[in-house]
Amino acid sequence: MTLRLLLALFLMALTCSGQGSGGYAQRGFLETQGTIYPEKAPNDSARAVAESLLRYEGIFRASNSLQFAGGLDFRIDTHRQVEREGSLSWWDRQTQRPSGEVRRLSATYHRGPMTFEAGKQFVRWGKTDIVTPTDRFAPRDFLTVVDNEFLGITATRLNIEKGSNTIEAVWSPRLTPSRIPLFNQRWSPIPELPAGVSLGQTTVNFPGGSQEGIRWNHTGPVEYELSLYEGFNHLPSFQGQSRLTPEGIAVDVERFYPKMLMGGGDIAVPMRLFTVKAEAAHFSSTDPRTDEYGLYVLQLERQAGEWYFVGGYAGEVVTSHGQNASTFAPDRGLTKTFLSRAGYTIDTNRSIAFETAVRQNGQGVWVKNEYSQSFGQHWRTTVNLTVIRGDMGDFLGQYRRNSHAVLVVRYSF
Amino acid sequence: MSRTLLLLLLLLQQDPRRIVDEAQRRTTSQSQRYEGTLTVIDAKNKTTEKRWVYDRTGSHGNSKAVLRFTAPAEVKGVALLIINHPDRSSDQWMWTPAINRERRIAFQDRSTRFFGTDFSFEDLEERDTDQFDYKMLGDDSIDGAACWKLQSTPKQSKVSQYSHSYLWVRKDNYAFAQIENYSKEQLIRRAHYTDIRNDQGIWTAHQIDMHDLKRNSHTILKIEKLQYNIPMAEDTFTLEALRRE
Repeated sequence: MTLRLLLALFLMALTCSGQGSGGYAQRGFLETQGTIYPEKAPNDSARAVAESLLRYEGIFRASNSLQFAGGLDFRIDTHRQVEREGSLSWWDRQTQRPSGEVRRLSATYHRGPMTFEAGKQFVRWGKTDIVTPTDRFAPRDFLTVVDNEFLGITATRLNIEKGSNTIEAVWSPRLTPSRIPLFNQRWSPIPELPAGVSLGQTTVNFPGGSQEGIRWNHTGPVEYELSLYEGFNHLPSFQGQSRLTPEGIAVDVERFYPKMLMGGGDIAVPMRLFTVKAEAAHFSSTDPRTDEYGLYVLQLERQAGEWYFVGGYAGEVVTSHGQNASTFAPDRGLTKTFLSRAGYTIDTNRSIAFETAVRQNGQGVWVKNEYSQSFGQHWRTTVNLTVIRGDMGDFLGQYRRNSHAVLVVRYSF
Repeated sequence: MSRTLLLLLLLLQQDPRRIVDEAQRRTTSQSQRYEGTLTVIDAKNKTTEKRWVYDRTGSHGNSKAVLRFTAPAEVKGVALLIINHPDRSSDQWMWTPAINRERRIAFQDRSTRFFGTDFSFEDLEERDTDQFDYKMLGDDSIDGAACWKLQSTPKQSKVSQYSHSYLWVRKDNYAFAQIENYSKEQLIRRAHYTDIRNDQGIWTAHQIDMHDLKRNSHTILKIEKLQYNIPMAEDTFTLEALRRE
């Protein structure tokens, strides 16, 4: 019902735009990308994947106080990472990417220092890059783990901005989980099972409750933020249970999203040569199956001429170990790691970028090199080469067969 | 008696601080809005075009501005919020819709080019006369118009990539005709102001040619649909407002 109502509002906005209203802005793109994997993966023989994405976003300003924003994604691909059925997804709970998706659909009302937004939206917290411990309302699509994209969440957001202080409260009635790699594809490097042991049923338990969070942000010569979050981890944990079958032993796997309480903060201090950013959060849970831990990031940032540079270290401290559950946790997987990102603008149309993550124990390395060039007002081509190396037991190293090259052609409108 | 008064007036006119104060007074407005077209011409004569909408409330050191790109398509919605201060450098944040995040532009990053144009982030600040010391260098002419040539040097409280600047202020209407920005002895950027028109009583250049001499590239900013003193809500110049587009 809510979806229908919001869609109706969105369509109404589109209709108004057609009548020449000056309060409507739109943008979008059609993007096609091809990915080549030089190495074969044990559970995935495909070495070439193609996919296309059409994204349309519209913003309708009904009055000075009221604004509607909507966005739709439509996808197709060759590798069944995208559902084949034509549907329009709101909750993003499918294992595959939906062929049609409401990326965003929200109404924003503001009056004086107060802003209230309700609907599907993006909520981003935190200041650091690559690993952002306090960014708890930001699930991602991790189907291809290292090239991920944020997913919108259904929420209400109240923001009060007074001078240099901002307080933001977010309430989300239902969890939007991060999308994890598909079991039968190369980004799920399932270890080879011993003879007689097979993977049994997999069940998914989505939690039923809501999530809440509040943050206070101060801007000034030094910027800092404190945040609290209570809800669920949008990254799943897994628990296996074995049972005897006529063929041997089957391991049933339950995917669940544990309760989470987070307290954290971040700070950005501009210095003479660099901006220093730090972010830290502690995560606890009432679910005894999961770990309690702290994540922290320290990074330096600098722009000089045509270069920009971000470099830092992400760390983790486990304060209490959970019972018998494993996790898919790229945020924790990228800790105990040196991270860097650098970019160079060659000219107004061309740029290059480099990203690296090197585990401190040397057991995993990820390097991404990107060249991008625009043509005219609408076209852009990007080539990226990603190399992943390491040991099977390491979060990065387990994807060592997934080094790849990507060619992206985008037409923006 | 009248000769003494005339001499006194001439002396006052030659006071560089008074000249820039008068230039600032004449361009003071409650608000400003324009649509800008930026043509970037690089050293190899390759041309790219960008468009933005600029809104400002307040004036000079007490102003806030939002600049939002409307073209090309891939940067639509990218926005810069500038909070100018009378006694120190501005605060700036850039909003990128693709990642739904704002990023503060640190002081040490202000010398970098703004989104592939020849304007640096610092060049987008509104200058306040109180943040500089001035020296009169004499008379000169730009595009045939008689000008005062002044030197401005940033005070200690002002963080600037430029060690000093030369300003050419037109004698007939106190509009800036040209600004040359130096780092030590090296000329870094030259802004040349042309197509100067009287809009609602304010003499305004409708074309600014910013020349980056290191890269030998130009950005020509053409100002269209200029309006002064239109009502603007204070709450459209906040970090939260950047999200609203």
